[in-house]
Amino acid sequence: MSARKPADQLMRAVLWLFGVLTVAPFALLVLTSLKSREDLIAGAFVLPDRPHFENYVSAWVDGLFGTYFLNSVIVVLPVIVISVVLGTLCDFAFAFLKLPGKPLLFGMLLVGMMVPTEAFIIPLYYEFRWLGLINTYWALILPQVGMSIPFVTLFMTSAMRQLPKDLIDAAVADGASPFRVLRYVVVPLLGPSASTMSLFLFIWTWNEFMIPLILVQDDATRTLPIGMLFFQGKYTIDIPILTAGAVITLLPIVIVYFFFQRKFIQGLTAGAVK
Amino acid sequence: MLHTNTFGNLKYVLPALLVYTAFVLLPIMASIVLGFTEWGGIGMPKFVGFANYVALFSDPMFFKALRNTAVLMVFYVALPLCIGLALAVAISNIRPGERMALRMLYFMPYVMPSAVLGIIWRWLYNPIFGPLNQVLRAVGLGALALPWLGDFNFALPAVGMVATWYYLGFCMAIFMAGLQRIDASLFEAAALEGASGRQTFRYITLPSLLPEIRIVLLLTVIASIKSYDLVFTMTRGGPANETLVANLYMYQLGFELNRYGYASAVAVIGAIFILVVNGIVHRVLPTDGDNA
Repeated sequence: MSARKPADQLMRAVLWLFGVLTVAPFALLVLTSLKSREDLIAGAFVLPDRPHFENYVSAWVDGLFGTYFLNSVIVVLPVIVISVVLGTLCDFAFAFLKLPGKPLLFGMLLVGMMVPTEAFIIPLYYEFRWLGLINTYWALILPQVGMSIPFVTLFMTSAMRQLPKDLIDAAVADGASPFRVLRYVVVPLLGPSASTMSLFLFIWTWNEFMIPLILVQDDATRTLPIGMLFFQGKYTIDIPILTAGAVITLLPIVIVYFFFQRKFIQGLTAGAVK
Repeated sequence: MLHTNTFGNLKYVLPALLVYTAFVLLPIMASIVLGFTEWGGIGMPKFVGFANYVALFSDPMFFKALRNTAVLMVFYVALPLCIGLALAVAISNIRPGERMALRMLYFMPYVMPSAVLGIIWRWLYNPIFGPLNQVLRAVGLGALALPWLGDFNFALPAVGMVATWYYLGFCMAIFMAGLQRIDASLFEAAALEGASGRQTFRYITLPSLLPEIRIVLLLTVIASIKSYDLVFTMTRGGPANETLVANLYMYQLGFELNRYGYASAVAVIGAIFILVVNGIVHRVLPTDGDNA
């Protein structure tokens, strides 16, 4: 089906027009982040006299986006590592080992997949107050790991089921312990699934809003999306700095998205359909 | 199978289940319990039975939130579904390389933090210096340059349009994957029989995409019930609660008014809605055996 008819060409032009309009807000964001306040008055679509990169310095230092960025990284990395490790261990047992009450355990995990964070944020807040962990990285890491575990488990279970069963049976026949089977047979084969899963965990954690909004009330531990919200509330609207902060917040995601977009879109849509 | 010691095997699942139970499952159960109490955050919660739920069903604010969510469904569910489907079909005539590039553009908002997108759109919608109104004035539509997020009639659709923009590419990508799944010989046969484009869509494309429609419905309806980040960062429920949604009401009741028991009841109702939607979508649009 080649697009040669005029109607098809028109459709193609329309698709590109809307596609470009879809990402236009991001282009406008970058443009505005490079303007001075004076440039801004000249109009939203007017180019600045020169790129004002100092907006990024202001956002990073005075706007505390440097701190927020570091906090986001400090939270995201352990969430990915702990969730993938615990999820894989859990999953291996669900896929290959005998467990007492397996359906019950699995059902327990499913509950967490369906219930949204908003539904249990109040008890979670009081739990962390009771633990004395409000305003700490733990308050951001632990609930995020807890919420990620059902997703990792479900996602990896289907990956585990696709592993060559003969290989695992052969390892068992050779008298390997479950842990050795996991370490030397299963884990080396799970690389692709684990990396896709890590991508999702990165995005979910980086983008998380409710948990850091409620469990952290101090700039020293705020992550980027919340930092941006409070930056907006704290200052009279300094649009160039605000947009520079937005670019700092979104850039890591855009980079990851560009590099892994195929994996991403396929994973998210296939994951949804399963 | 590796089954030396059944209980010993629990050591593989316990670490994950402990973290999950401590920070997800127990809080969920606590939320349910809290929904039956009156609690200001200090001292012991006072058990009140179903009083919170009874009060909820005569609470005009709660109904306002429900009504707003119903309106938002047009933008969270109907528009992304219809436009996403149309785009996916339109895009299927284009060369694969170009198709992937277009898909990347449309999908992009979906990977971004919706809270940050809300803040960005607040600026885009700004009545005085916002780019949207600058465009409208520049093209001679200055009369349409409204104070979008501050307008009683337009605040909710303005928030909704952002949701449409956010979910559109996601829906399109799901439908694109679904179209690839359809046997190409069906389309060839239809073309040979002289079927029109509309007939092909009605009798082949649409029925074949039922599993995808089901999943899109499920995810977008749930997203509309959960809607919070966008509304919180764009309007905080204003003006005059015109954009109030259930989760925002829950936040205000709990963290601003210290009515934690009543707020928990709102949260529990929201979770029940999601479970019901899950059940309905699975029942009304059966999976006919394939993926599920």
